[in-house]
Amino acid sequence: MSGEDRVLGADEQSPVIHLVDDDAAVREALSLLIGTVGLRVRAWGDPQAFMQDFDRQAVGAVVLDVRMPGISGLTVLEQLVAQGVDQPIVMLTGHGTVDMCRRAFKGGAAEFLEKPVDDELLIETLQTAVNRHVQSRQRLQADQQSTARYARLSEREREVLALIVQGLTNKEIGRHLGLSPRTVETHRAHLFEKLQVDSLAQLIRRFGSLATDTPS
Amino acid sequence: MPRIVRLRCAPAPVAHGTIVHMIAWPRHLGWWLAWALLSALACASLARNEMGQARDLFETDARIAHRLLSQSAVQHDAVLATLVLVQPGAADALGSDAATAPERLSAIYPQIRQVARRDGDTLWADPRDQAAEILSRATRRPVIAQFDWAQGRYRLLQAGLPSSFAITLDMRQLVPATTWPTPAGTHLASAWLELGGQRLVLQGVSGDPTSGCARAMEFRKHLAAPSQPFELVVQRRLAWAQLPLALMLGISLVLGLVLWALAFGLRQRQERARAEELLRLGQLGRLNTMGELAAGMAHELNQPLTAVMANTQAALRLLKDDPVDLPTATRAMDHASVQARRAADVIARLRRLLERPGTSTPNASVRLDDLARDVLHLLEPEFRAIQCQPRLDAPQAVNVTGDAVALSQIAHNLLMNAVHALAQVPAPERQLWVRVATEGTTVVLEVSDNGPGFTPEVAQRLFEPFFSTRPGGLGLGLSLCESLARGMGGELQADARAPRGACLRLTLRRAPEGAWA
Repeated sequence: MSGEDRVLGADEQSPVIHLVDDDAAVREALSLLIGTVGLRVRAWGDPQAFMQDFDRQAVGAVVLDVRMPGISGLTVLEQLVAQGVDQPIVMLTGHGTVDMCRRAFKGGAAEFLEKPVDDELLIETLQTAVNRHVQSRQRLQADQQSTARYARLSEREREVLALIVQGLTNKEIGRHLGLSPRTVETHRAHLFEKLQVDSLAQLIRRFGSLATDTPS
Repeated sequence: MPRIVRLRCAPAPVAHGTIVHMIAWPRHLGWWLAWALLSALACASLARNEMGQARDLFETDARIAHRLLSQSAVQHDAVLATLVLVQPGAADALGSDAATAPERLSAIYPQIRQVARRDGDTLWADPRDQAAEILSRATRRPVIAQFDWAQGRYRLLQAGLPSSFAITLDMRQLVPATTWPTPAGTHLASAWLELGGQRLVLQGVSGDPTSGCARAMEFRKHLAAPSQPFELVVQRRLAWAQLPLALMLGISLVLGLVLWALAFGLRQRQERARAEELLRLGQLGRLNTMGELAAGMAHELNQPLTAVMANTQAALRLLKDDPVDLPTATRAMDHASVQARRAADVIARLRRLLERPGTSTPNASVRLDDLARDVLHLLEPEFRAIQCQPRLDAPQAVNVTGDAVALSQIAHNLLMNAVHALAQVPAPERQLWVRVATEGTTVVLEVSDNGPGFTPEVAQRLFEPFFSTRPGGLGLGLSLCESLARGMGGELQADARAPRGACLRLTLRRAPEGAWA
């Protein structure tokens, strides 16, 4: 497999696959298989303990067996989604019915696999799920950062930003706001500094939506 | 184990019978009503027809009687007119044989009893005759001079010149008996002549004419002779006994038979339809059980297969790696082989269950304790799902005569019922016992749980088809088990446990020693 996965596996912040199955033999075998591609695996025999203790902040994915003692995997899935857990959840079942499959996807499952599962399919599914989760977490992080920086702007700077995003020149912005082009120039410099961007393109890509969504 | 409180031993038939009876009564009532109504209609129509015929016959007879009497009365007038015209008295004076003419009249007309003559200068001996003569002379036609109602005679008189004549008539002989249309006694008819409030009975019936009478008919008409204005009255009553009672009874019986055949046919058809439906659903229930077995089996096989596949694939990946992690790969292969054996065991157990020696003959010797163990193992995932491990009490080998597949089905159903029942109580309290034991010449398999149990009302209906306390349940499980048990000469009974729970008890014949190889 590619080196990128290895790097992810080595890191303490690397993705974790939570494997929930009541059968010890299955747990052990799947852990070993998933481990061969460098993904970290945390195996759980008891779904209740898993729901209580697993790290919701970490990136990764969850593999849930449907048929488990005490509580069905589908119920666990529904409870996790209701709690706002954003890790992709892959359902695993021995005898999947169309009904069960429908319920799983409706409940928010990322994938629905049948036992015994082929290694290629399982690993590919998990990697896709993990990558998607990493990306969504990064996007979330970037969004949070942008929002924080945007919050630092003054009222006038936000007005100037909104007009820049609309594609107006300094002169036009000055006319629009009743300012001299030089003053607009100064606001613009402050904007670039506070939002920590180097180019107009960067500014529009990261803050364009914030500037147009937020009423000035 | 807590003491068992016995609720009932004998299963379904009692409840069945009661229900069938309750439903059947109003339906039978309907048939009876239909029969009564149709019979009444048929009988009424028959009676009406019969009465119509009787009426026609009566009218005809009465008219004939009237005509004959009228003819007779007209003849009297003619005889008198002839006598007055011929004046045979003159001939009598000549001593001719004309004197015997009045006597000879009686020979021709039997009703003429006497002929009397008054000659020109004499008077009638009886003043009534005298008065009649005056009236006759005035009206120029015969007049009735005297009545003797007791004797049934009257005297008809016509004035003439020089002699007047009178004839005495016997009313009972006005019409010869041979030509009288309603011979006495038949048709329960009576006839009389009436004049001035007096009457003479021509034909009579003894007894009260209105008693036991279905219908009375009457005919009244004056004779067509102005000189003898008698009114003929004919009455006839139709007795109940004269109605065609045998025919009515016959028709009623035939109708009853036809309706009964109809009802019987309808009922047969319903019964057949119900039996077919039950059979179909019985097969469905069997399929359902097989489906559950298959699902359990799939899970049992999938778990080791998943482990085998994951282990071998992990080992392959490890072996292709550089450097090769030989110890981990070896361990993975070890695990794979153990799991493959586990899968093989599942298959072997299934084969033992379904292809037990002698299962081809339904009444073979079966090791009941082993069978219970196998079924318990098959249902292992179910027990884990409700977090309750059953306790098996089967200290020794128990051989029973029966059908292994049917026995597995019964055990499976009883255990699944217990599982469903236990799911309704808190997990830590759940308990499930299975006991296999020999009791004298019988063998018992007991499945007890401390679930919610059942109320006495539910207990009454437990073995009834389509009765289920479970939402979505077909209600065929226990009824199927019960028929399977009975098919093997065994019995299934349900008891309530104190303080809570149910005990289902299958009793079977013990197999003869050494029959099981």
